[in-house]
Amino acid sequence: VSVGHIARRVLNALGTLAFVVTFNFFLFRFVNADPVGTLYRGRNVPRERLAELRSEFGLDGSTFEQFLRYVGQTMRGNLGLSYGSRRPVMSEIGDALWPTVLLVGTAAVLSAVIGVALGKRAGWRSGSAFDQTVTGGSMALYSMPDFWLALLLMAVFAQGLGWFPIRGMSDPRSTADGFAALLDTLHHLVLPCATLTLAYVGEYVLLMRTSMVEVKGEDFITLARAKGLRDVLVRDRHAVPNALLPVVTLLAINVGYVLSGAIAVEAIFSWPGLGQATYEAIRLPDYPMLQGLFLLFSAATIFANLAADLLYALLDPRVGR
Amino acid sequence: MRIRGIVAVLATAGGALSVHGAASAGTETPVVFTVGIRQDIDNFNVTVGVTVTDYEAWTLHYPTLTGKAAADFAVTPALAEKWEGSADGLTWTYTLRSNVTWSDGEPLTADDVAYTINRSRDEEWQNHISTVANLTAEATDATTLVVTSSAPDPKLPSLDVFIVPQHIYEKVSADDLAAHDATKDPGGGPFVLTELKNGQFWRMKANDSFYGGRPEVDEVIFTLFTDDDAMVGALETGEVDALGVVPASQFDKLAANPDVFAAEGEQGSFAELGLNAGMGLDNGHPSLKDVKVRTAIAYAVDRQTLIDKALNGHGKPATTITPSADPKYNLGPELLQPFDLATANKMLDDAGYADADGDGVREMPGGGNPLRYRYFARSESEYGAAVAEFITGWMREIGIAVDVSVISDSELTTVIGSGEYEMFVWAWTPFVDPDAMLSYFTCDQLSKDPDDPTNYYNDASWCDPRYDELYAQQNAELDPAKRAAAIEEMLTIFHEGAAYVVLFQDSELNAIRIDRWTGIPCQPEETGPFLFNNTAPIYTALRPRADAEPLTVACGSRGPTGAADRPASGSSNGDDDGSSLPLILALLGAVVVVAAGAVLLRKRRTSDDRE
Repeated sequence: VSVGHIARRVLNALGTLAFVVTFNFFLFRFVNADPVGTLYRGRNVPRERLAELRSEFGLDGSTFEQFLRYVGQTMRGNLGLSYGSRRPVMSEIGDALWPTVLLVGTAAVLSAVIGVALGKRAGWRSGSAFDQTVTGGSMALYSMPDFWLALLLMAVFAQGLGWFPIRGMSDPRSTADGFAALLDTLHHLVLPCATLTLAYVGEYVLLMRTSMVEVKGEDFITLARAKGLRDVLVRDRHAVPNALLPVVTLLAINVGYVLSGAIAVEAIFSWPGLGQATYEAIRLPDYPMLQGLFLLFSAATIFANLAADLLYALLDPRVGR
Repeated sequence: MRIRGIVAVLATAGGALSVHGAASAGTETPVVFTVGIRQDIDNFNVTVGVTVTDYEAWTLHYPTLTGKAAADFAVTPALAEKWEGSADGLTWTYTLRSNVTWSDGEPLTADDVAYTINRSRDEEWQNHISTVANLTAEATDATTLVVTSSAPDPKLPSLDVFIVPQHIYEKVSADDLAAHDATKDPGGGPFVLTELKNGQFWRMKANDSFYGGRPEVDEVIFTLFTDDDAMVGALETGEVDALGVVPASQFDKLAANPDVFAAEGEQGSFAELGLNAGMGLDNGHPSLKDVKVRTAIAYAVDRQTLIDKALNGHGKPATTITPSADPKYNLGPELLQPFDLATANKMLDDAGYADADGDGVREMPGGGNPLRYRYFARSESEYGAAVAEFITGWMREIGIAVDVSVISDSELTTVIGSGEYEMFVWAWTPFVDPDAMLSYFTCDQLSKDPDDPTNYYNDASWCDPRYDELYAQQNAELDPAKRAAAIEEMLTIFHEGAAYVVLFQDSELNAIRIDRWTGIPCQPEETGPFLFNNTAPIYTALRPRADAEPLTVACGSRGPTGAADRPASGSSNGDDDGSSLPLILALLGAVVVVAAGAVLLRKRRTSDDRE
């Protein structure tokens, strides 16, 4: 892989990021909004105090001054104050980051693993009853909206059967700590995670299956068979590693979506992650928070793509020149 | 089958955890009351926070000098045991309980109260300033507080401020105050905040040193939901004990549940159709400067239809701009224009607004400028879009064209301040005392600075010199009857100005599990809600309901129907009705999945054949 290629890719990513930072600012200035007037409607706050509050939110000065201030702050990792909580956006996002990584990360790994496992068997025996069932099921799951799936699972397993809790990532009534608290969180994780896993799994099954069907016809497979290898070994040692390439790419790209990927599901299960934070920020609307979240989501996607680019160059030397 | 295996494992894990949960609760059995809410604490700092949930938490955490009776808002002793006013009504001397401490063990004395009043006045703390603006407080000893008002103040001796601990706050400078982390403040109210997880829940524990005696509930937990259906489901399954705000669409369902008491209460919040009378920044339609046009519009609004259709019937027609949680302050004359399109049309005809070109829209007298109005609805409002539909239709009937835009509250503030509107629908929740609400419509509050249009409260873009005169008069009038007369005249002037068409008072909808809880006061008793009301009396009155114990609910005639005499046991079996719908949905879902799978399977087969 040439240094030039890496440098080009990195510069490209940084350029995109700079564009996003700028675009982000103007996107949220399109709306001529005054949060201070709204927050203090009906509170009889003296006029001078309102003006002070506006300056605390960085809403004084011309748009250009505000932009310079915003760029300077963003560079230093300061994303401003949330209109909703009056706390720094950075710490709000920090609080919401880990629940999302836990939920969406687990679901991404589970769906990839299950998807690959099902997809390889389906593709290897394409046309079999197993293939038809799995492919049909995957299509159905893939086309099902995740919020609907979430409501369905909640109706059956939380409200109907009462096996799992309805909301949050812990039971505030429980005094458990240590291992018991971990179990409690896992108990809360099951339904939202199952929703996302089911929503994502179809994509992996279908991709893996197609990929397997293609690889199956290659000469090296015929060769492997000719060597007299058992069918399972031909599949797992020769076909699967080659068929996995597009899946790896999908996984890399999906990592970028991990952070933003669960807005509806987090909102339904009141899971205190970035999706819920986004939902609440839109409801208010809390522009600095949205601005910070958009920046984070864009940055995650940009860097995941950068990683995929560089990974590609490693896997396929023709790209890296 | 693999799938079945996974479900079995998950179900086992769930079962194991439920058992675990029950076991851990069994060892100590603290009495925990859990309230489901949709709105988070935005900031626990009393100088920063603004949400209703903040007020509920502060009311439990911080001590107050005086309280308000649950039944009727009468001033009651709190930290102060008794008080005495001077003859001119300007000076009040409060005697405080002795030997009271903060939850950290430090003494809670008159010094803390004086410190809070004086500092919040000097620094204009947003949640205190309307109460303390004219007050000066002095602690003459640990249990004596002298409060002097620079002008007669009809609100005294009631003093609604959250008392903060001086020994903590004196170390925080004015500049650092907004960033002060108040979640660590010691408390002096009935419950003390012990844990706050933003976006999840907050926990308040009974305060052993509370001057009113330790509450019977050991712990109150407010847990946050982002989805209405999930929240209602959690009350039905018992994951929470009560809901602060029930979605209007689900209220009737909960009210029919024998384990639940669901109550409609009034907090005085009302919605209005604001018309741009053009006295602020003058960018509205010239026709609305004519009071006859504004009055005609008032005749063309059918409040009852709005309540029935947009609020699912949970509200009542509003009559004044000062509905209050306390019925004795509902002073307004009931002058409402009845819904009468013929009268409205006749008024516009008589005033010369004819439809000369026959396009269905009237023009200004003398022709030309048609009566086409910009109408702004709130994206945050549950009923905004529905109300806009109805009003647009009625306006069409009287020859007025309306263009509706749905925007966020913060945009609407700018739109109104800059006068770039003809109509909007928004809402207010006034304080118990009408003073603040009346102050917003004085001439002083009209928007007049185009560079800073949102710094003003008067969103009627209307004012009247006589109204202003009366405002000053009532603000200093200590004789309740004279004050009421002044206010009544103000409301009449405002009503005749017709810049606001008050629409309806929407109800606060609460729900609580009465199979588990008893001792539920509404505030005020006859008309108020039992959660998120003025001084939150429920948390200290509530106790767990034992089997077959009779239920006590102090909510006037709104007590639970038919459930009061029912034994309290067997609660968990009462959900069967509620759970059949989800199961039907689930079955339906399964059928859809199977059908979709089958269709795709056939498609697959044909495409495989082609391969």
